[in-house]
Amino acid sequence: MGKESSDKSDSVSSRKLVLPGDLLETKSKPGRGIFRRDGRVHASVLGYSSDQSGYMNVNAITGGYTPKVGDKIVAICVETGPSVWRMDIGASFNSTLHHSESGWKVPFGDTARFLTIGDAIWAEVFMVDAAGTHQISLKKDDCRKLYSGTIVKIGPTNVPRVIGKQGSMITAIREKTQTRILIGQNGHIWIDGKGNDIATVQKAIEMIDNEANSKGLTKKIEKLLEK
Amino acid sequence: MAGQTDMELIKDGVRLDGRKADELREVKIVAGVLDNANGSCYLEWGNNKVYAGVFGPMECHPRHKQKADRAIVQARYTMAPFSVNDRKRPGYDRRSSEISYIASQAFEKVVMVEEFPKASIRVDMQVVEAHAGTRCAAMTAASVALADAGIPMRDMIPACASGKVNDVVVLDLNKEEDNYGQADLPLAIIPSTGEVVLLQLDGHLTPDEFEQALDLATSGCMDLYKKMRLALENKYGGSA
Repeated sequence: MGKESSDKSDSVSSRKLVLPGDLLETKSKPGRGIFRRDGRVHASVLGYSSDQSGYMNVNAITGGYTPKVGDKIVAICVETGPSVWRMDIGASFNSTLHHSESGWKVPFGDTARFLTIGDAIWAEVFMVDAAGTHQISLKKDDCRKLYSGTIVKIGPTNVPRVIGKQGSMITAIREKTQTRILIGQNGHIWIDGKGNDIATVQKAIEMIDNEANSKGLTKKIEKLLEK
Repeated sequence: MAGQTDMELIKDGVRLDGRKADELREVKIVAGVLDNANGSCYLEWGNNKVYAGVFGPMECHPRHKQKADRAIVQARYTMAPFSVNDRKRPGYDRRSSEISYIASQAFEKVVMVEEFPKASIRVDMQVVEAHAGTRCAAMTAASVALADAGIPMRDMIPACASGKVNDVVVLDLNKEEDNYGQADLPLAIIPSTGEVVLLQLDGHLTPDEFEQALDLATSGCMDLYKKMRLALENKYGGSA
């Protein structure tokens, strides 16, 4: 991806496609998407290797969402319990939103009055434990329940492409269409605005998702938004 | 594996389909062919045609199969009714459940199962056309599909068989050689370490022949591994 990567001058030097098991020659500390065998570093996922700021990472091109503490996500309610909500965040397991993390004063058994199946929220992952379970919170920063709007789901590995370098892509989309957009790290994207605008943004985001690894993506999106 | 036959399966070092003893059939691998699966692969190996699709990691069902400290790989090998000459009765049978089981065990050796406690990674392998060596073809396709799904792994595992026909050790048996040959030895390895994750033997081999067959199958696996890499590089654009 000649043009795109030359834009990202900070990461261009060591960008290379690696496959699971590939040996990575590096003196940096091990970061994401790698494992060690006999003191040497190997890639564990299919992705692009990057060796910067002292860390060796492999950025996956495909794959599901693995929650990390502090991630801002769009979650959808799939089940209500007496004091918790079970939320779909696109990971292997549903996440839990406990009533004490909702910011609402919820009487026991009355959870569905606040958030019912199908409702969406903008939340933060605040706990992930070794057993793979995770909890989300509504009490952080700008976390809230999302009314109106629509949700588009894309591959979580393509989220950085939707945002663009220093937010260039998403700023362009927002300005050209007059929409409000929240991009979850889990690949769920909430869009609100006028019907036509939502449709345009949805089209643009789906295009980014499908062609995340192709050349000249920013130009293509700009062209699409001009129409 | 009928063993004794009058059939001349190899003559002057050339086999029925014109291959030399250490030659693979033609292999074509395409990664990411299915939209609905998280990862997928289509593989043609001689006349074998196999699809593989991967889902997950997802919550493991039934729950008594969950492992508290790691994921399990639930592989499933099936043959289509039209994949063989005599219509195969559709569904699971003794043979396919055995292959599914050994494939699951092989994949659990390379997939980083400890990263996904209580989860299940589902690998489905569908043989559309069978011409000997389908378990190897299916596992090779499934490895590519696993990588395509972005599942963390220590390596991909190529699988390839060798065997004995007319007292000659040969690589990658075709249908006739499988049916009328003397031995069949499917092998799957981890290329970066040389570890064996699957080894079966049907028929008779002397210890010397076994060593020879093992070496041959290993070199076949390494050839195949290059083709698997190429398939993924083709899909994801190679070095950028």
